[in-house]
Amino acid sequence: MEYVVPDTLADACRALEAQGAQCLAGGQSLVAMMNLGLAAPERLVSLRRIAGLRGIATAREGGLRIGAMTTHAELARLRSDVPGAMLLAQAARVVAYPAIRNRGTIGGSVALADPAADYPVALVAADATIELASVGRTRDVSARDFFRGMFETALAPGEIVAAIRIPPGAGGGTAYEKLSLVAGDFAILSVAAIAGRNTDVAIGGYAMKPLLLTGLGIAEGGAADIARRLDAFGEPPSDHRAASAYRRRVAPELVLRAVRAATQRASP
Amino acid sequence: MSESKISCTLQVNGETHDLRVPADATLLDVLREKLDLCGTKRGCNHGVCGACNVLVDGNLVRSCLMLAFEAEGSAVVTVEGTSESRTGSDVQQTLIEAGAIQCGFCTPGFVMALTALFAYEPHPTGDAIRTALSGNLCRCSGYVKIVEAAERLAAIDR
Amino acid sequence: MTMATEGSPPRLDAGDKATGRARYVDDIHLPGMLHAAVHTSTHAHARIIAYRLDAARAIAGVKAIVTGADITGVRAGGIVKDETMLARGTVRYVGEPVAAVAAVDLRTAQRAAAAIEVDYAPLPAVFTPDAALARDAPVLHEEFANYVKTVDGGGQGNVVFESAITEGDVEQAFGNCAAIVEGTYETQAQHHVYLETNGCVADVDSAGRITLHATCQSVHHIQQRVAEELAEPMAKIRVIATRVGGGFGGKHASNIHSIAAWLARATRRPVKLVLSRLQDFEIQRTRHPARIWMRTGAAANGTIVARDVRITLDGGAYADESPAVLAFALLMSRGPYRIANVRAHGKVVYTNKLRAGSFRGFGNPQATFAGESQIDELATKLCMDPCELRLRNAMRPGDTAFGGQPVRSCALRDALERARAAQRAAPVLPPRDGCRRGVGFAAMSHISGLMGTAASVQLRADGSIALATGCVDIGQGADTAMVQMCAGLLGVTLDRVSYAQQDSDVSPYNWKTAGSRSTYMTGRAVAAATIEMRQKMLDQAARMMECAASDLELRPGGTIGLVGVPRTVSFKDVALHSLFRAGGPIAATHGFVFDGPGFDPKRASIHRLAFANLGVYTFGAHCVEVDVDTATGKVDVRRAWCAHDVGRAINRVACEGQIQGGFVQGMGYALTEAMHWNEDGWLTTTTLADYKIPGVLDAPAEIHPIVIEDPEPSHPLGAKGIGEPSLVGAAPAIANAIHDATGARLRTLPMTPERVLDMLP
Repeated sequence: MEYVVPDTLADACRALEAQGAQCLAGGQSLVAMMNLGLAAPERLVSLRRIAGLRGIATAREGGLRIGAMTTHAELARLRSDVPGAMLLAQAARVVAYPAIRNRGTIGGSVALADPAADYPVALVAADATIELASVGRTRDVSARDFFRGMFETALAPGEIVAAIRIPPGAGGGTAYEKLSLVAGDFAILSVAAIAGRNTDVAIGGYAMKPLLLTGLGIAEGGAADIARRLDAFGEPPSDHRAASAYRRRVAPELVLRAVRAATQRASP
Repeated sequence: MSESKISCTLQVNGETHDLRVPADATLLDVLREKLDLCGTKRGCNHGVCGACNVLVDGNLVRSCLMLAFEAEGSAVVTVEGTSESRTGSDVQQTLIEAGAIQCGFCTPGFVMALTALFAYEPHPTGDAIRTALSGNLCRCSGYVKIVEAAERLAAIDR
Repeated sequence: MTMATEGSPPRLDAGDKATGRARYVDDIHLPGMLHAAVHTSTHAHARIIAYRLDAARAIAGVKAIVTGADITGVRAGGIVKDETMLARGTVRYVGEPVAAVAAVDLRTAQRAAAAIEVDYAPLPAVFTPDAALARDAPVLHEEFANYVKTVDGGGQGNVVFESAITEGDVEQAFGNCAAIVEGTYETQAQHHVYLETNGCVADVDSAGRITLHATCQSVHHIQQRVAEELAEPMAKIRVIATRVGGGFGGKHASNIHSIAAWLARATRRPVKLVLSRLQDFEIQRTRHPARIWMRTGAAANGTIVARDVRITLDGGAYADESPAVLAFALLMSRGPYRIANVRAHGKVVYTNKLRAGSFRGFGNPQATFAGESQIDELATKLCMDPCELRLRNAMRPGDTAFGGQPVRSCALRDALERARAAQRAAPVLPPRDGCRRGVGFAAMSHISGLMGTAASVQLRADGSIALATGCVDIGQGADTAMVQMCAGLLGVTLDRVSYAQQDSDVSPYNWKTAGSRSTYMTGRAVAAATIEMRQKMLDQAARMMECAASDLELRPGGTIGLVGVPRTVSFKDVALHSLFRAGGPIAATHGFVFDGPGFDPKRASIHRLAFANLGVYTFGAHCVEVDVDTATGKVDVRRAWCAHDVGRAINRVACEGQIQGGFVQGMGYALTEAMHWNEDGWLTTTTLADYKIPGVLDAPAEIHPIVIEDPEPSHPLGAKGIGEPSLVGAAPAIANAIHDATGARLRTLPMTPERVLDMLP
């Protein structure tokens, strides 16, 4: 195995064009897979020295721009008026365990797109934008288009997640509900909610990518209504954590909880 | 699996080491096999159990999930090194006195997690203690006496 | 003379463990040491046709390869000797060790193990007892009739062992019951998940004598097993226990040591074999999955008069400790109650999965899940409070246990009342949002005893004491307890007693660290040996002081004095006199096999039981509070009160730690832990990401141990055991609390959110 530790994003993108090259962000997923014999990258491009991938700043148009190498621990400590950022912080706090949060990065998590992970759900609810960089170009992809399936994203070969932009918003309350068998585990189901005039909700664990339900009002219907809207997405998966029928039954209740919690936090 | 070796300079417990290690060696591999620092334990090798916890630049990190070359330029502290610090030895002593140690295999990982916590916050709440320890598995104790030990330490003015 | 238990002294090994100095198997590095890797079966059931080793042999740094074709083929095991050290001719579960490689480093060994190719002819496989018992089911052990069996269990086909115990007349008794409940309970395969995986280092000297450093539960057992499997006399095998990072029964039987020893013998170099977590899941053993049909009947006034039990245990591919687990499950199926008519019948069945074997509780958790759930079901039918029903029927000192053994110390009623009172007196804890609160009880009994053990003590020239036993401390604190007992009986501080590492060359025999037996059995031996040496010291002092030994007394701090007179001699004086003047070195040894009354054939009809004798009985009661989230089915155990009758707590803090740890391990069994195999027999739960044990946020913040002391007459210091009981009652207490909260009665473990939600009305 070979590795490089470039100093600039441009160098990293160039290194990524080599045969068998893969990014190394926090390593919390990749190195685990290597240790289990599930991955054996030929060439690693470490992103740890690239200053341009770090830092959280106010974006030009308002909202926040979060560098891809920002750790979950840094995000968990974030205080911001931007609702999407607060939602991300809530999700960050329940990713795995403290030691994992100290190294794991938002860029790494986004690029991996594990269907049971926390960030994709929060980013879809927040209507975030993913900034991608490759040799000679950058492009933006909406989070709502970025996550395509199980470990499947809009990343093209040679592209690196450079940053995540959270749109501005005022006064919205947020809530992230995670159902797992034990604390710190991957989610069986997770729900990210941002309250506004109506509430946008993203659901994880119900499909191979986060599902979006927009404009949910708490006054309307309740669990039955939500269940009907979820029906449009087909059967949720069965896996060793839970059967499809369980996810189907529980998801509407979890959504309601998240909507209620977000709405309560929104009211002054 | 990689057989190519790389040069790697690591600072561990205040000492600098120039090493030749496989490129894909983890920090845990290097600590145990190259530096004879066997206090850091391998419980699962995939980041879940916490027995491999070390401090890297003061942050709690899974040494089994950190490639050795990624630790270049950082200060690594293991349980052996933490015995030398006031916070570390207070943590160890409190665990001993509280009867919080049984088989002991998880203990170095807990010592590191508590040292990281108390270095950051000398009087953590019960919730903060539990959250700080949420990534450490123990199969012997049921956790109660470990948390009691930490609460005891949190109540002292050190 | 009171013992050194005031203040629960810290464990002797705690300092090393806290600083990372404690040495476990993987911390051992010997000069020239090789590393071993194991190649395992990819079929659940198949004939081995051929091995192709050329590719593996060609890898630089490979020093030896062993396959089933190279070994003697002697079958070892527990009561039924059905296992070879590597698969030979047939593989019977996915993950079964088929070959092993020793190489200069671990990566090379793993590469070589992966390069071994084995040709298989697949056979039909069975994964459940039902499938294994069906007509035309493939037979896993065709040569079963020829296997050595130290106890006849009537096994045939895929039935490993079948046993029954009966007291009284259940048929007639059920005819007179006012209330009868009946149900079938299913429990899962649980894994020990000790934090330190299994492993050993085998070393060899120029005479071919093998020394094994092992994380284990008995050096003597491993010595015997390796000698058997390698066809060596036991004098050529030495086993030394390292610090052990947890056992819980998973390291009770030997199954990898002969592999390492064989490779060391072949290469004439030390060989380290430490299992990865993944291989530990695949190669070691699990708790027996069980199906228990049970029927319990009571009179209108709440006296339980009859219980009928049928147990089927899924034993996996090899018998291991199955006959003994079956026996114990049956013996414990009456529960800690005075039920006059009980019939218990059970069998263990072979299936093409990882073997099931010893695991903290040893069949009792399964039986007690059924039994204690059923007590609550019966209480509902009788319109009685479940705790009251238990109290009404609870065993008392002087009763006999199921099978007829006498029970001399029993504080069960006390345990129930104190657990209940503690919960009632506790400040009210409101349930979490969206949750319903339930309170549940369980009572449990267990034993401490079994087999043989010994201890030896010597007086050193400076008056300090050297203590040795064969009891391996697997983390529960046995080392410290032994030293406390010895020091206490001699009136000296703990630092005056040294305690030897367990080494089969020199340690007195001990069967195993198992059966909650260390403080009771080995403790008895320690106490007896210490008392005997104490007497010899008094005799020596009497000669020195020219008086009668009966005029002398031991004084705290290591002196012997004449009663009523200030004149003393120190232990050192006594030692020096004995070593250089007269008398000779002062030492004592005491050994015994459990000597309590056996089962009583006048009371119980016993058919093919693996045990002839058991031990003294311990008792306990749990009271738990749970919150059940009615939208998700998730169960949160908020607080627990665990009262246990330990006879005498040698180290109270250590007892508490065992109670708390056992409860949480039992909680994992109750709510989240399960091994899963897919339809081809592959284990899918092979990492800690898939197999979920409780973390600090899952375990209750409050587990209140209530240590009850009612001295056991057969132990000089009154102690019994505490290692297993607290796990035994956790699952039914939680199940009963779930029922109290929601009305849902779960009879399948684990009680996952999904299962609970499915049962909510």
